[in-house]
This record gives sequence, C-alpha cells and structure tokens, in this order.
Amino acid sequence: MTPVVKGSDPDMPYDARIDRLPIYALFDLKGPKEALAAWSKDTLEFPNGPSRLKRRGSAALCHIGPNRWLLRDDLQNEAALSETLRPQDAPAEISIVRVSDTQTFFRITGPDALEVMSIGCTLDLHATVFGPDAVSYTEFFGIKALVLRCEGGFECAVEQSFGNMIEDFLTRAMA
Amino acid sequence: MMNIPCPFCGPRNEAEFAFGGPVKPRRPDPNATSDDEWADYLTQVPNPLGPVEERWWHVKGCGTWLSIWRDTRTHDIVEGPGNAD
Repeated sequence: MTPVVKGSDPDMPYDARIDRLPIYALFDLKGPKEALAAWSKDTLEFPNGPSRLKRRGSAALCHIGPNRWLLRDDLQNEAALSETLRPQDAPAEISIVRVSDTQTFFRITGPDALEVMSIGCTLDLHATVFGPDAVSYTEFFGIKALVLRCEGGFECAVEQSFGNMIEDFLTRAMA
Repeated sequence: MMNIPCPFCGPRNEAEFAFGGPVKPRRPDPNATSDDEWADYLTQVPNPLGPVEERWWHVKGCGTWLSIWRDTRTHDIVEGPGNAD
C-alpha cells in the first residue's frame, strides 16, 4: 500500500497518515495466566488488567479476553518465540497457536488520527478513556478488529482477508 | 442503541454484540412433569412486556457470553450482566 498522507492531496480533510504494516509474529494464548506463565518459564510479562497490553522491547502482550492473550512481536522473532513457547507441546489446560498470517495491521498516525478512527470505530478512543496501554477488540468499519495505541496514533488489525477492504475504506475516509 | 455492559470490556455499543435469545427456564424433569408443562417448556419462548433475561455474545469484542435483564418497553438494561454459561 502506498501510504495515504494528507500532503499528497491538499484537499484531504484530515491531517493523518495511513500505513499498511508488514506481517507480525502473533501467538494466540489461551488458558489460566499462572499456567501460561509457568509454561513460558516466566518469559511472558502479563499486563495489569483487562484490555491492557504490556510492551517489552519489540513484543507486546495484549489481554484481549477472559483467559486470553495475544502476543505480538516482529516477524524475525517468530522462530525464537516458537522455540520458547513450544505450541505443539503445550499441556491440555492451555492453548498456544501461531496466527501470524491471519491478521493485517494498519497504522493511522497524525494530528487527526482520532478523527479518522472515529469514522469506522464506535469505541471511545479519547486518551482519557483509551490510554497508551489500552487494547481491545471492537468494531471497525463493521467488522471485528483489534485496536491499540501507538506513537502518534493508533494501530488496528483485521482478519487478513478483509485487509484490502479496510485499506479501501480508510483511503476513502481520508479522501 | 444500547450500551451493553460487558464484564470484561465494560460498556460497549450494541453493534459489537450478537443476540442470543431470552434465557429459557430450567429444563424440568420429564418424568415428574405433565405433558402440557413439557410442551410449554419446549415451545414457549419468554416474551414479556417488561424485563426479560437475555443472552448476548460479545462477538466483535472479547467473546464473552453474558446475560442481562432488558426492559422490552424501554430498552433499559435493568440488571446485569450475569454469567450466561
């Protein structure tokens, strides 16, 4: 995707930039927190509460549901994470599934990032409600999407087959 | 539009949820109930004019199933959420 930037068209109503991001390493973790921590030999740093994330280096662990977390890291760390988490050997009480190629991420940054997000998202994303460590699945242009904050704006992830559609919607929203 | 209180995510827009229908009464013992009562249990769906307990699935959110009491006249959520499992 060619980044959509206000500067490319002076008539654009929003001062924001939209980028389609490369694939991340993603692991879907389910089960009791204590069991996951023990299985990962305490290499996972869990966030403080529901709909929160904890960053460590390039990795972010997102608490996305009851007894459910999503671990995101750069793609080059996928093999190392697989080796640490050993999804194929996980005990019955937990589930670890590599889902790296199932999600397409977009980054919306700039002074009007909140306005652009508000076109497609019903969630209150104001900084007083949706803080820097907030993360949540919600509705984005009518489909389920993961929304989190990043430096200067927001990132959102949708199921990869919706990637082109959301790219089109975001481009139109900026037009 | 309703703001449904999800126990995990907090209040969320109704559009994030899927309706799971009213909570049915507990299944009676078929050996200790009359044919009429058994037929009522199988065929009658709670549909009161007033508060009704309903199940909702936070399908576009955290995936939690929950139950709330909704007033069918006003859409006010008068009680909830409970655990619908």
